[in-house]
Amino acid sequence: MTYLELKNVSKAFAGVDVVHDFSLDIEKGTLVSFLGPSGCGKTTTLRMIAGFEQLDDGSIQLDGNDITGVPPNRRDIGMVFQAYALFPNKTVRDNISFGLRMKKTPKNEIRKKVDTVLEMVRLQETADRYPHQLSGGQQQRIALARALAVQPRVLLLDEPLSALDAGVRVALRGEIRRIQSELAITTVYVTHDQEEALSISDKVVVMNKGIIQQVGTPEEIYRAPQTRFVATFIGTANQFLGTASGRDSVVCKNIKLLAEGVENFRDGEEVVALVRPENIHVQSELPQQRNDWNAIPGVVETITFHGAVTRLGVNTGGQRIVADVTVANTKPVALNQKIWLLFPMSACQVMAAKE
Amino acid sequence: MKDLRKTNRESAKKMHRPRWQAFFIGLFLFYMLLPILSTYVFSVATRWDRTILPEGYTLQFYARAAGASYFTSTLRNSLILSLATVLVSLIIIVPTVYWVHMRLTSAQPLIELLMILPFGIPTVVLALALVQVYNFAPLARSPFLLIGAVVVYSMPFMYRPVSNALQAIDSHTLTEAGQSLGANIVQILAEVVIPNILPGILSGSLLVFSTVFAEYTLTSLIVGARFKTFPLLLLEYTRINGNVAAAFSVISFTIAWLVSMMILWVGTTGKATSPEALRAR
Repeated sequence: MTYLELKNVSKAFAGVDVVHDFSLDIEKGTLVSFLGPSGCGKTTTLRMIAGFEQLDDGSIQLDGNDITGVPPNRRDIGMVFQAYALFPNKTVRDNISFGLRMKKTPKNEIRKKVDTVLEMVRLQETADRYPHQLSGGQQQRIALARALAVQPRVLLLDEPLSALDAGVRVALRGEIRRIQSELAITTVYVTHDQEEALSISDKVVVMNKGIIQQVGTPEEIYRAPQTRFVATFIGTANQFLGTASGRDSVVCKNIKLLAEGVENFRDGEEVVALVRPENIHVQSELPQQRNDWNAIPGVVETITFHGAVTRLGVNTGGQRIVADVTVANTKPVALNQKIWLLFPMSACQVMAAKE
Repeated sequence: MKDLRKTNRESAKKMHRPRWQAFFIGLFLFYMLLPILSTYVFSVATRWDRTILPEGYTLQFYARAAGASYFTSTLRNSLILSLATVLVSLIIIVPTVYWVHMRLTSAQPLIELLMILPFGIPTVVLALALVQVYNFAPLARSPFLLIGAVVVYSMPFMYRPVSNALQAIDSHTLTEAGQSLGANIVQILAEVVIPNILPGILSGSLLVFSTVFAEYTLTSLIVGARFKTFPLLLLEYTRINGNVAAAFSVISFTIAWLVSMMILWVGTTGKATSPEALRAR
């Protein structure tokens, strides 16, 4: 059931379109991420939902009511900021009770609610401290507790983890997801970190230049990208520029690839075939070829160790291809070694060359 | 061994620096304090023109100062003028600066320019212009006109610290955080913004208070004898008796200093706040 609905929302700053004709339905209790490079309009969209920016066009509905013109303090929408934005003059307890006091909640109830949310973020012992006495991760957890204490209808998180260390970031995003699921609170999460978006979201909205590129589950976004931008922004993808040929092949400069999705293009139309590095198998000799597999010979130019995988940079007659191999399933490869790159037709996706 | 010698040399170098610092700090203090100290000594000296130190000491000039007609009334007038100016400045400047920071960032350069104007216009010109423009009752040559004038004159002293404090606390995000928690702009100002820029507000208030307490030109030209303030009385006495004038100066310092302490005290003990939290960052 649609709970939060953005209809044809547009916004321009000084004549430059920042968000263009943005329409999105968000279901109750789900966590939706806005993902995209900086300047893609994700934060502006979030700020329009919060009421901090006015819409140039379109409308926003929450639970069936139009909230487009409602001031931010009457929207009942909580927000967590990148810079935490805790009130420096107030203790943790006073920070969290601020929203409840604004709602004229009775005192004993405030106390109970503050204790509950502090327990939820596991920081009961910090109640009497000031924000500057907490670490960045703790401050952001308190900011989350403060936003949740008033039981908002929607929770907005604006790059909440960007200012934190890598370790804290991973731990805290798990925490955010756990609390969000427990409370089943409708949440919009803005991030430029694809791993973050993929790992915690029910749905991901990939944006670029103010336009939605794709909306889908993390799996869909990763496995079945619909545009070249999505394919290259999420994860790594080898790109083969060429022209469509027949029902299943792409003719590139010096090779012909078998690919899926070619039937959607006219013969001779410019397309790009995309293959993820982890779908490429590396073999030292050409095995018995199966007819729905691509096989490209090449020379290993670089070997980069990434821990779980080793990434090979392979020169294949001018085009550089990266392939990920795991120690477990590949024989050791040496620099300048001649190898074969193999990948099935199903791992090779075709889309329009234009972004 | 080599390393040890090197570190020794380095620490010796470091040892030298404080001596230079001490010299310059000493020079600065001497420059700043000498006039004040000599005023203090002059106010209790019987005769001090033939010897390095005064020939004798007396409190009689303080007695004469306190006994002077107008002593209490000018003191009262000066206090009224200074406190009223601080109050009006606070009411006008704090919300304006906040508003410009939040919503009218494009107006910032204009405000900056306006804040330099009082330094650019000679006080005499300002006073005469005001007297000519506001030549009607009840403003003409009244204390109200004077308060208005000194508010303008002392505006930069309030604006600068308040504006800096607002910049230091990221008032934008704090305001939005308050809004998202259901607070209106008055509640946010009272509970979040003002407590966090209190150091700026206090130093602005102190600067305005001490500037206005010692103000002479505007007072003399706009109201003159109708609303005599302490500096006017002081100047009168420099022509009558230098020692009494020095005693007046000392009294004036002391009052300005006491009121400053009071403003600081009221500002910092009003609520249980952590001084660390109030530090600008």
